Amino acid sequence: MDEKVPRSNIIETEIPMGTVHPAALEPYRVRFFVEDEIVQEAEITIGVNHRGIERIMEGLPVEKANSLTEKICGICSNSHIWNSCRTAEIGLGIEIPERATYIRVIMGELERLHSHFLYLAHGCEVLSHETFSMRVFYLREIVMELLAMIGGNRVQYGCSVLGGVRPRCDVDEAKLLRLKNDMDAVEEGLTGFVERFLADSVVQSRITGIGVLPQKQAIELAVTGPTLRATGVARDLRTTMFEYDNFDFNVITQPDGDVRSNLVMRALESFESIKIIRQAIANIPEGKVVNRDWEMFDTDMNESYIEVPRGTLYHSYALESGRVRHCIIRTPSMANIGAMQYACIGDQITDAQLCIVQCDPCFTCTDRAIEIIRR
Amino acid sequence: MFGNTLINAILVGAITVIFCFLISTLLPGIERKYIHARIQQRIGPVVIAPGIMAPIKFMFKENVKVESPVPGLYKALPIICFIAVTCLLIALTPQAFAIPALSSLVAIVGFLKVEEICYVLMGALSKSVMSVRMPFPDQIKGAAHNNAVRSFVEDISSRRSLRMITYGSFPLYLALFAPVTQARSIFLSDIVAFQQLNGPFLFTVSGAIAAIVFFIGYMIILNEYPFSIIKAKCDVIEGPYMEYASKYRAIVYLTRGFFMMVLGVLFSVLFLGIPPVITSWSILINIIVALIFVFMMGIFSAFSPVFTNRQLLPTILGTTLLGVLAIVLGLL
Amino acid sequence: MGIKSFSRARAIHVMLVYTGGCNGCDIEIVNSILSPRFDAEQYNVFLTWNPREADVLVVTGPVTHLNRKPLEAIYEAIPNPKLVVAAGSCALMGGVYKNCHGDIPSEEIEGPVENIIPVNAKIPGCAVRPQDVLAGVVSLLPILLDAD
Repeated sequence: MDEKVPRSNIIETEIPMGTVHPAALEPYRVRFFVEDEIVQEAEITIGVNHRGIERIMEGLPVEKANSLTEKICGICSNSHIWNSCRTAEIGLGIEIPERATYIRVIMGELERLHSHFLYLAHGCEVLSHETFSMRVFYLREIVMELLAMIGGNRVQYGCSVLGGVRPRCDVDEAKLLRLKNDMDAVEEGLTGFVERFLADSVVQSRITGIGVLPQKQAIELAVTGPTLRATGVARDLRTTMFEYDNFDFNVITQPDGDVRSNLVMRALESFESIKIIRQAIANIPEGKVVNRDWEMFDTDMNESYIEVPRGTLYHSYALESGRVRHCIIRTPSMANIGAMQYACIGDQITDAQLCIVQCDPCFTCTDRAIEIIRR
Repeated sequence: MFGNTLINAILVGAITVIFCFLISTLLPGIERKYIHARIQQRIGPVVIAPGIMAPIKFMFKENVKVESPVPGLYKALPIICFIAVTCLLIALTPQAFAIPALSSLVAIVGFLKVEEICYVLMGALSKSVMSVRMPFPDQIKGAAHNNAVRSFVEDISSRRSLRMITYGSFPLYLALFAPVTQARSIFLSDIVAFQQLNGPFLFTVSGAIAAIVFFIGYMIILNEYPFSIIKAKCDVIEGPYMEYASKYRAIVYLTRGFFMMVLGVLFSVLFLGIPPVITSWSILINIIVALIFVFMMGIFSAFSPVFTNRQLLPTILGTTLLGVLAIVLGLL
Repeated sequence: MGIKSFSRARAIHVMLVYTGGCNGCDIEIVNSILSPRFDAEQYNVFLTWNPREADVLVVTGPVTHLNRKPLEAIYEAIPNPKLVVAAGSCALMGGVYKNCHGDIPSEEIEGPVENIIPVNAKIPGCAVRPQDVLAGVVSLLPILLDAD
């Protein structure tokens, strides 16, 4: 399928949902324009979450600003602080110890695991399949405990600092052993879940061919991350990041761009993450975890792109006597909103929230820079 | 003498109904704790919580002004539902067999239809805060289709329950009429008498097929997952029940458990030939049948996602065909 | 203990409203109720999404401008007796968004939640831990049981 066209242009009625809705984990407003329960058009209104982080970052000391970026999102908090530190490190030319890079990768991949598990659990919940949802939440709990073990908190760990990682996040032998054992447990649980999930014909009939995002449209809408890879485009920034140079992993793609492709895609990518973590455990070098031997100077705009669980994350700011200036953050969900609106078209209204969820929305990430006009 | 018998009959009937009602309050808790929670590997609530304690708690809540164009009717609907279910149970007791107009399948279908019509009205009359009434500036300059008609989520739910009336509950009614093919009578007394003579209808081929159809119809009319499109959490949240608060919500909760019980009793009357009487030990069979139905429903609903129209139509069509097959087999 | 308190202790319906913030608290709270690991239902705490059904309103996040009216509307819709739990440091004091800034102070935050609706219990943490959420909701029991 190249393009989806609505079956008719008649709009019978409009059904608004939100800002609080069981199928959405975050506040946003969506208006569905339907004809005989088939969605003809969808309009997502964001800005409900707007807190103005880039504005309050203006003029903060860079260390403080880094930890503030972590509060952008509670799901991919580590990605934000990692990329924010990376921006300054690129600008100031700070060399990062090898061991710190490895720990960052471990944290990044653990976070990808927890984000993907959340996605699977939430997807099953929107399908109203409580049992699957609970099973994935149970698996996710193992990952959350690991994150708490390394970072000290379940959600916001503050792992990266300029020049490396916080000494608290250093991993010793005992932690590595637990990490290794728990990766086995997660892999076993996930394998069981995926087999069970793919064998369930009722669930499969419910998600196959729903919320299709054709590849052509995905590229036109500049979709990023797993949502793009689920349409068959093998584009993953991890292949170009120097942090991942020593790791061997595959870029997973799925052909169809429907809900099934997306869910399967997340599950398969989780296995790759487990693989990366295992490599990191095996090869982690000795040494210090933070390089404090650097000097602050004024820089022009520094920018950094990394691959986060939901797509491409962009941070950029200039430094002026140790303070952040002109900060710009672009999160993956910003690009994926178009895909969410598009994926709904032509599906039942019961599936509409599922189609939005399939694009892995994170409106808390997205609602920072959009100018809202108060009326 | 005659007066005494009448009073006795009414007394026994009333006690049977009250006993069934008391047992029925446990059913939602049993479903939640012993089936859903066990399957999901967690402890779950206490058994009395969803069926008994929640309604009592709602009884003690303050009444609120219902957001509805016709608040009086909207508030009356759960009571009508409850009365319809009670009448259904009364019709099933052997004491009511003396009143042919009440204890016939036509009356039973009538009571079930009242229940279904109530869902349509509830959905149409409920105007909850969760969709259109949410104070959010989304119809602004630049927004798409600013002049479109706006619907509440309950309106979709109402339209869906109308659809369920037209074809969704068809399997249940087919299954109800399957025993008629054997007993050649629509009166419950005849159906019961026939089965007590010739053995339960359930253990014939036609009866076994009709029992499957009945079970699917049971899940459809109870709006349990996977057939819960009129109150699916992923779009219409709670559908017709959105606006009920305090006492009315308590009645909604009680009706659900009671309805589960009554449908189980209906099955045991039509397929096993055992009407509920408090004075006989056979009432245990009624309870066991109701429990088996709840267990099966719990297992099915824990392992299936909500169906959309795409899955619902073939399922109902297939079940209807099975029901027709059962009736044809019964007639042969 | 009368029948009123007895029944209230055995069926607590919790509704969650997110009003901005970083999503961390929302997920931890939903997690604490949906995940079998914490399973709030064993304490007879049920998650609901219908304000008419709720007894306890759990609010997370600093209240942003667009969230103020929905929050008020949902609070109004809950029948008495109702209790409000503010969870997470954003809900308690506006969090980093209100209190931490560089040259330009934030004007986006209406919160903390106390400014908009009365709050009965506060659960600190960034993000709140599931154990704390359960403890916070259960700590409200005495107030809930004695209410009219």
